[in-house]
Formats: sequence, C-alpha cells, structure tokens
Amino acid sequence: MKFSVLAFSLLATTVLTSQAHADKLDDIISSGTLRCAVVLDFPPMGSRDESNNPIGFDVDYCNDLAKALGVTAEIVETPFPERIPALMSGRVDVGVASTSDTLERAKTVGMTVPYFAFEMAVTANEKSGVKSFEDMKGKVVGATAGTYEAIALEQQVKAWGAGEFRPYQTQADVFLALSQGQLDATVSTSTVAQANVKTGKFPGIAVVGKAPFDIDYVALFTNREEYGLINYLNLFINQQVRTGRYAELYGKWVGGEVPSLSVNGVYR
Amino acid sequence: MFDTTLTWNDLAFLAQGAAMTLAVTAVSVTAGTVLGIIFGVLRVQLGAVWAAPLTFVLDVFRSVPLLIQLVLGNAIQAIAKLGWAPFTTSCVVLSLYTAAYCSEIIRGGIEAVPATTRRAARSLGMTWWQDMRYIVAPLATRVSLPAWIGLTLGVMKDSALVLWLGLIELLRASQILVTRLQEPLFILLICGVIYFVISFPIARFGGYLEKRWSPND
Repeated sequence: MKFSVLAFSLLATTVLTSQAHADKLDDIISSGTLRCAVVLDFPPMGSRDESNNPIGFDVDYCNDLAKALGVTAEIVETPFPERIPALMSGRVDVGVASTSDTLERAKTVGMTVPYFAFEMAVTANEKSGVKSFEDMKGKVVGATAGTYEAIALEQQVKAWGAGEFRPYQTQADVFLALSQGQLDATVSTSTVAQANVKTGKFPGIAVVGKAPFDIDYVALFTNREEYGLINYLNLFINQQVRTGRYAELYGKWVGGEVPSLSVNGVYR
Repeated sequence: MFDTTLTWNDLAFLAQGAAMTLAVTAVSVTAGTVLGIIFGVLRVQLGAVWAAPLTFVLDVFRSVPLLIQLVLGNAIQAIAKLGWAPFTTSCVVLSLYTAAYCSEIIRGGIEAVPATTRRAARSLGMTWWQDMRYIVAPLATRVSLPAWIGLTLGVMKDSALVLWLGLIELLRASQILVTRLQEPLFILLICGVIYFVISFPIARFGGYLEKRWSPND
C-alpha cells in the first residue's frame, strides 16, 4: 500500500517535471498553432482587407514562421500598447508587431535580431531637381511638426545655413504641399513615403533616396527566458533574408530599396 | 449619409461580432444566474453574520469596475498558467460579476415573501425544500423578474468590455470597421441598431412574462 502511494507520487513527479521541461518551442509545435501578436492599424505592416481579414507585411511574416514550424498561424490583433501585455498574459506566443528593439523593452521580453527596418526616406517634387538628401540644401523642405524626422530635418537646415524648414500639422498636408510645389522635398519613414506615393493622390512626387537619420530597427519578441524559441526566431529571420523572401515581402508591401538589417561595425 | 463604402461583407462581419456578444452574454447570464440563486439562497439561510464572508466577496465583484476585473482575471489565469482562451476568461469573470448582482436580486426576492406565508407553509407540514419550491420560488420569481431582465440587458452591454481581452464582439467589430473605412458615425449607428435589435426582444419578453404572471386581482 505504502509502496504504491510512493510509486504513484514518483510517477506524478516525473510526469509533472517532464512537462515543465518542455519549452515554448515544443509547446507551439505540439499545440499545432502559432499565435502572433500583430498590430492591424499600421499599414503596410498590418491592416485589414475588404473582407476584414488581416493583411500586411507582419501578417505574411507570421504565416511564413508558422509554415516553417509546420503549424497554422493565428493572428491576434493587438493595439500598440497591448503587444507586450498580450505576451505576458499568455494570449500570444510571439510578437510580430513592428516592435522597436529598445533596451527598456528587452528588460521585459526577449528580442530577436531585427527583422525589418524603418529607414527615413527623402521624397521630392520631380520639378525641384532634388535627387538625394544632400540636394535638399538650400531648398524649401518640410515635415509633420513634432515628429522625430521633423526635429532632425530642422536641425539639418540650420546646420546647412541655407534653405527653409516648414512644419505641417499632418503627414497628408506635407505630401499635398509637396505635390503642389510649395515644398521641394520632405523626409518621412520609408513605409509612409512609399504608401503615399502609391496612392496616386499626390502627382509629381517620388521617393528619391535615404536620409541619414537614425534607423528604427524592429524585432520579433517572445518571453525572455525562452532561449530555444529566440534562437529559432533568429535563424528564421536569417533564412528569410538569405532565401530572398524578405526582399520579396518588402517589394510586395512597401516597395523601393530594401533596407539592410545589419549594423556596420558590430555583431547582432 | 448613405453614400458609404460599407459592404455586405462588413455587415456580415458585424453580425459575427453580434453573435460573439450573444454567446458571451448567454453563457455568463446562465452561469451567473445559477450561481446567483445558490449564493442568494445561502445568504438568506445563513443569516447576515454567517454569510458575511460571502457577502463581502460578492460586494467586491459588485464594486470593482468590470474592466479591471477582466484585466485582473486575465492576469491571474496567466500567472496560474491555466492557459484559458480569452473567451473562457471573459465568461468566467462576467459570470461572477453577474452572480454578484443576481444574488442580491434573489435575496431581495426571497425576503419579499412574507414570513407569515412561509410559517403557514411549514405549519402545514411542508419540508424546507417544499416550502422553497412551491411557496417561495413562485412568489420570489415574480418580484425578481424585472430586476433580472434589467441585469441581463446590462450584462449584454457590459460584455463589450471583453474586447479588452482580444475578443472580437460587436463593439470591437465596429471599431475595426471604423479604423478601415473612417466612417465612425454611420458604423456606430448601425452598431447601436444591432444592440437594440438584440436587446428589444429580451425586454419585451420580460414585459410579457410580468403581465402573464401578475396576480389575478
């Protein structure tokens, strides 16, 4: 009698501890579903189509990841502030949500290597003759007031000592002014620039090059102690670039020159 | 006003949201009412002193805002590694919230049955169970019904808060459409109409029952 109780508790302990040892990567594969946190009001990274199904770069990226794992993807819509809470409360397995890899966030969640980069792009009126960032010297330039790129651009205009900087209320106002010729050029996030040029609402403007401002690198994230999964995700990002899938998705959703995901002079 | 980009697809999407609202409400009100009856009867039977701990817990559920209960409930299930889906968590929290209000309604209903009537029943040799079943239940139900219908309608509207846990119910579905189509007034108007269409039959059904059960005097 005593022996059977002992044997049962031993067995129970073994079962329980062996369950505790299965990590998140195993859990995802055995559950057959990969739940991704995706922001769906942030085109072209995430939005909804006419039938309200999730679409976008991040959605495709999650589907690719699920395919690599041999499971089905489940897109869980999370607004920007809900991305990390959704992971912490176990509603999602991985965040594929254009999340900047800040050190502050890395205290809470485990960040992978960058899977996407938001570069600053120069968009110019075709008549202005601006062909690169340097050509903006002495021209009339503008951006959405208060944004990171507006502050950087205003400082640059002051440093050049020539030309004029004009702030605008909204991003749409900037592109309208650019299209009407009130502005010669502007600096904005590459995704925003490409999306606005693509709409066709602003004739006579084109994305002409990159601006040498800080690049916003974004990473996938999961629980910080899940090294096995983070390791897998890092390799997955590497493979996406290596196989050309990253460039393909970039061309599909954003367009233009594909941003590099590595930083010169340092590992990771 | 009717120059809209809203399609039949989007209306179907809203209908799916409404179905989710109905599902959450149905589960929560059913479970909440069963629990509410148990708690309500217990509170009357135990008396104010012995039921104090139960009353206190139920008061907590009645006084803490539902949104906070949902967020905390979700956090607790995550910490306890229960692995509940958002639907389960929402239903559990909403059921307890409903039960807290319902127990109060049931208690009020039972206490509205005159003590003399109940004593008369027991003097006739009825057991406690028979007294509850044949004397208290019919009278208390009549008293409690209007408040219970009000609670059901309230829970249906409060269930919109489960969107916080990621469930796409009616309000969240409208928000998604507003984000995509940028027609907030029109879409919220439709959302309001759908809420009305769901609620109205319940309110009328309550009115009908009240009329049918009213004493013939």
